[in-house]
Amino acid sequence: MTEFMQALAQGVLIGSTYGLLALGMGLVYGVSGVVNFSHGDFISLGMFMCLGLYSALALDPYVSAVITVPVMTAIGAVVYWYLIRPMVGHQFLMVVQLTLGLSLVLQNGILMVFGGQPARTPSMVESKLLILGDVVVRVPHVIAFVVSFALAIGLYVMLRSTDFGRSIRAVHQNANAAALMGIDVRWVQTLTFALGIGLLAIAAALLLPGTPIQPAQGLRYTVITLLVVVLGGMTNFVGIMLGGLIIGISEAFGTIYLSDTLGMLLPYGIFVLIMLFRPQGLTWSSSR
Amino acid sequence: MLEIEHLVTGYGGVPVLHDVSLKLGAGELVGLLGANNAGKTTLINNLSGIFTPMSGRILFEGQDVTRLTARQRVELGIVQVPEGRMVFPEMSVRENLLLGGINQRAKPHRAQQMEHVLELFPRLRERLGQKAGTLSGGEQQMLAIGRALMAEARLLMLDEPSLGLSPLFVQYIFGIIDRLHKEGLTILLVEQNLNLTLRHAQRCYVLERGRIAVEGSSDVVKNDPRTRSAYLGL
Ligand SMILES: Nc1ncnc2c1ncn2[C@@H]1O[C@H](COP(=O)(O)OP(=O)(O)O)[C@@H](O)[C@H]1O
Ligand SMILES: [Mg+2]
Repeated sequence: MTEFMQALAQGVLIGSTYGLLALGMGLVYGVSGVVNFSHGDFISLGMFMCLGLYSALALDPYVSAVITVPVMTAIGAVVYWYLIRPMVGHQFLMVVQLTLGLSLVLQNGILMVFGGQPARTPSMVESKLLILGDVVVRVPHVIAFVVSFALAIGLYVMLRSTDFGRSIRAVHQNANAAALMGIDVRWVQTLTFALGIGLLAIAAALLLPGTPIQPAQGLRYTVITLLVVVLGGMTNFVGIMLGGLIIGISEAFGTIYLSDTLGMLLPYGIFVLIMLFRPQGLTWSSSR
Repeated sequence: MLEIEHLVTGYGGVPVLHDVSLKLGAGELVGLLGANNAGKTTLINNLSGIFTPMSGRILFEGQDVTRLTARQRVELGIVQVPEGRMVFPEMSVRENLLLGGINQRAKPHRAQQMEHVLELFPRLRERLGQKAGTLSGGEQQMLAIGRALMAEARLLMLDEPSLGLSPLFVQYIFGIIDRLHKEGLTILLVEQNLNLTLRHAQRCYVLERGRIAVEGSSDVVKNDPRTRSAYLGL
């Protein structure tokens, strides 16, 4: 029973961050129809930037985020405007090709700078534990959970009640009509992509403490994010956060109850099962 | 107020409009008639900056706006009520109206303008929190017009506002158009509905397969045999 609660707690905590990762991808898909296959490599980039800042200035990843978030947001804006935007509206596969290419560039760029050895970025909270009755959770996971949910709620409020948020939803619902309102659709798409990459920088810092990193890990994050987004119904806010929790929990159960390699497969198994019965994703109605 | 000079435009290099010229004075209510596929929506989308013409010029109050973006044109007050209404279905009536007034010029007075629109369409006030997608066709048309007024339109272009509405709603919407015209708004009314438009507009243009076939005061256009033949495609 303790083991069960333990797995559940860990899954929920990590799953919230998966949900956050997926919100970024879902927003981008919603406004420009782009599925970014270099998503996970941008997470890598965020993590390795933290590593670099640690080596150079001994910064804690949480502190580094103050630098990596604006830098990655800017990178996101540049990448969308100069690389992805010219492809949007052409064949879907061209954008897929482009982001896959970007993935390789990022992965090998990181490999060139940091080498292929697994590395760690220490954090002051890395080994701290929080004991709640029988359940022991790691403090970085708690921080990840709190920050992810706070950001998700913040995003939700932003989408509902600011002009920028309403512009994002307008472009998602009818881009032509949005243009007729005087909304600069390409600009909204660019900012949304930048926002998504900025969120990845935060997620990177949240996932980093205690996690060994290596340049080739990006694809794993991309795949996990895709699972969550598809589970959540691509653009549904609540669905995506729920999808994050489900994938996080199944991963935690997999690694605790099954062998390591088999455990890593559990999320995919659960995913396939859910999609068999609910091919439209988890949610019943769109909330955007 | 608006002058279109020798406009040629189309899709993928194939012209749909050939040498279209048209003029609209300030405060005028002008009809643009034409059968299905004549090129009415194409013209209006070139005016809105959704597409740019292959050649020709568009002047708005003397300023050449041919190469301006859609956003810049909204900022000038060139506002379209699109064919099929195109409300944002998953957003509330209130959010749709707020989006209408999102341009820099209109934004500072959004609250007053919203009050004005809700006085014009009391029906929308009752439905403020309702999702636009759940409104009836007539109510969506009210919302689409209200949204354009939120943008503080100076030239209002309506693309087939009667399309798919019950006769009662058509009458109501045309009553609103008349009222806006009386209040001094310049209006370009795009319609397939010949008699209705001739009754409300001062002047009309008839578009036939991408060319202006007839133009003049509504009486002249009404009695010109080419008007009927443009419609029947003879
Ligand atoms: N987006 C488009 N791409 C290609 N052709 C189009 C497009 N929109 C309209 N057309 C063509 O342009 C012509 C005029 O269409 P349109 O302007 O919609 O006419 P109307 O509004 O008078 O019915 C039609 O032959 C139509 O097939
Ligand atoms: Mg049309």
